[in-house]
Amino acid sequence: MQDAGLIDDYVERLAGKLDFDRSLSQCVRQEVEDHLREAVATDATNDVAAAERRAVANFGDADAIAAQFAVISLAKQSRRTGSASILGIAAVFIAMKGRVAWYAATQWTTNIDLESIVGIVGSVDRYAFWFSVIAGIGCWLYIGTRRFPHAFNSTFRKQLDRFLLVSTAMIAALMASVVSDGILTAIQLSGTGFSAGSLVPILSMAIEILCAGLLALHIRSTIRRVTQIAALWNA
Amino acid sequence: MLKGHLDMIVLAALSAGPAHGYAIIEEIRRRSGGAFDLPEGTVYPVLHRLEQAGLLSSRWVTADSGRRRRVYGVTKRGDKMLTDRRKVWEQFSNAIGGLLGGTRPCKTPA
Repeated sequence: MQDAGLIDDYVERLAGKLDFDRSLSQCVRQEVEDHLREAVATDATNDVAAAERRAVANFGDADAIAAQFAVISLAKQSRRTGSASILGIAAVFIAMKGRVAWYAATQWTTNIDLESIVGIVGSVDRYAFWFSVIAGIGCWLYIGTRRFPHAFNSTFRKQLDRFLLVSTAMIAALMASVVSDGILTAIQLSGTGFSAGSLVPILSMAIEILCAGLLALHIRSTIRRVTQIAALWNA
Repeated sequence: MLKGHLDMIVLAALSAGPAHGYAIIEEIRRRSGGAFDLPEGTVYPVLHRLEQAGLLSSRWVTADSGRRRRVYGVTKRGDKMLTDRRKVWEQFSNAIGGLLGGTRPCKTPA
């Protein structure tokens, strides 16, 4: 009797509201259920149903509590996005430098007819990449030094807006850099037949595309989370 | 008013030693003489936030009932924060006491 009913419904409702963050949802489910069962167990009366009602009533509104947990989840996710940006940019940099080192080691020559294009694309690549580095470090420092919010208030919303704006600019610049790298790699490989040596630049390009793509998905997921949590607070 | 001091209240309740959420709420109720009878659920987001901020740490244990239970404890950083907050609170309390009682505060207000 005690294992089903009001407490289960309440815990289900609260955890369901946090489904967008599975680990938090599961953790809250266990923690809150333990609390409510403990409250029933220590209730002085013998009426279990009444004790469950009291425990749930004393705990508070599930929607309001879920909204408070959601803010913490969002703050954590934005910090993770900041750290992922640094890691993603570092991975792209390593892949890029590895490819350049490979060209130097194997004395790979550029197609002379395309040298002017290589110059322009190379400049775009450099500026876009270094912009993404500055923006990425800026994002990481900015979000990492903010205090954990108490609520989804205007201050937190402004912090997120700034963070996501710079993050979006950062990923756009990183994508531009990766596309430029792709063009440069295609130029380098053109005119040479496919050989085992071509696999190194191709593999390094695949790493760059993967890292930039994953980072873009991560940022998009954070933007969507902001919308979800704003809806939870406005409900 | 209470909401603005929840962090300090939770840290103070945990200063005696590690405890799980239900025990923390009971401790707050007991030490405040029943004056701080807040909605129990509001304490859990505070615990999670303080843990994220590095002021608390937590671990899962199995209770006598067989249920999984999360136990929180104050970190060194949390301890320092509580000490700082206590000082500020004492200064504030003395200042207000001085104002309302018409006496001079014992210490300089923050």
